[in-house]
Amino acid sequence: MEKTIIIQRYNPEQDQAPSAERYQVPFDHSTSVLDALLYIQQQLDPTLAFRWSCRMAICGSCGVMVNKIPKLGCKTFLRDYPAELTISALDHFPIEKDLISDMAVFLDHLQAVKPYLINDSKNTEPHRQTPAQLKKYQKFSSCINCGLCYAACPQFGLNPEFLGPAAIVTAQRYNLDSRDQGKAQRMPQLNGKNGVWACTFVGFCADVCPKHLDPAAAVNQGKVASATDMLISIFKP
Amino acid sequence: MPDSAGARRPYLQPLSRSWWLKHSFFLRYMLREATVLPLLFFCGCLLAGLYSLAQGESQYQSWLAFMAQPWVIALNALLLLASFYHAKTFFELFPRVMPLLPAPLMIAGQWLGTIAVALLLLWLFGAIG
Repeated sequence: MEKTIIIQRYNPEQDQAPSAERYQVPFDHSTSVLDALLYIQQQLDPTLAFRWSCRMAICGSCGVMVNKIPKLGCKTFLRDYPAELTISALDHFPIEKDLISDMAVFLDHLQAVKPYLINDSKNTEPHRQTPAQLKKYQKFSSCINCGLCYAACPQFGLNPEFLGPAAIVTAQRYNLDSRDQGKAQRMPQLNGKNGVWACTFVGFCADVCPKHLDPAAAVNQGKVASATDMLISIFKP
Repeated sequence: MPDSAGARRPYLQPLSRSWWLKHSFFLRYMLREATVLPLLFFCGCLLAGLYSLAQGESQYQSWLAFMAQPWVIALNALLLLASFYHAKTFFELFPRVMPLLPAPLMIAGQWLGTIAVALLLLWLFGAIG
């Protein structure tokens, strides 16, 4: 059994724009899109460039568009597609080569929200946390930074300055952590015009997230937090 | 041979004006946002009605005649459908923004609230009971 895989190829040294190339790939029940890409690279065309690492949906490296929907190559299977499928680099990011995107904008946004525990206390005791406190942020803590939500977000496509789903999820994840004291440092980013308010709740990010994080919910819960933060700052002497 | 700084030539993907036609998810989103258009027409009708009421009886009667035209009724029927669609999407998004109770409970509660308010208004204006 074979399927036709159409890949949008781009060679920065020769091409002005990506162009489609077709490959015939054998498959069975367990062949993932990543397996197919590896087959093409090893058997048909060694010049094909793409990123991958863990093959088990935890490194977040192999994000590509499959039939115009952002997917992790390792978590998407040929068996679920008709005889032809189209693979291209993630939407909204610059393409370095073939399926490799330049994710620098996303990493800048992630860094801007200080995605780590900020705690100034000199206390050397371990920070204790109850199961109830853990539950508050746990659902937002499994982001693997694959960038699929950015490829799904038309607001990020229109305005790359928008912090975007994953960065805001991660900000929420630390803001809601009982051990963290950095909320005041993160709120200016979230309150700004490229923060939570740039989101119009398209909600596609939640559909494509391979970790079922619901970034759209996190962003819009961030709007509640942002509004509360503003009200408090108005009435605070 | 380009120098190392010039070797990188990333391709910037343009976002076409028709991005929302790319798949059904974006189409449904644009449909949700477009429900504001018939609402705009309805608000215009309502304002015109209030204005004509202040102008006197003959003006109000001609507004009533305008509202009874088939195309106005058809547009307002479209508005009703659009508002129901918008309500459906809104009620489904709300529990994700404020997860106070399990989502199906919150969605059912919002529909029950809508029906209760509609019945109250119908009763107030003498359409029922």
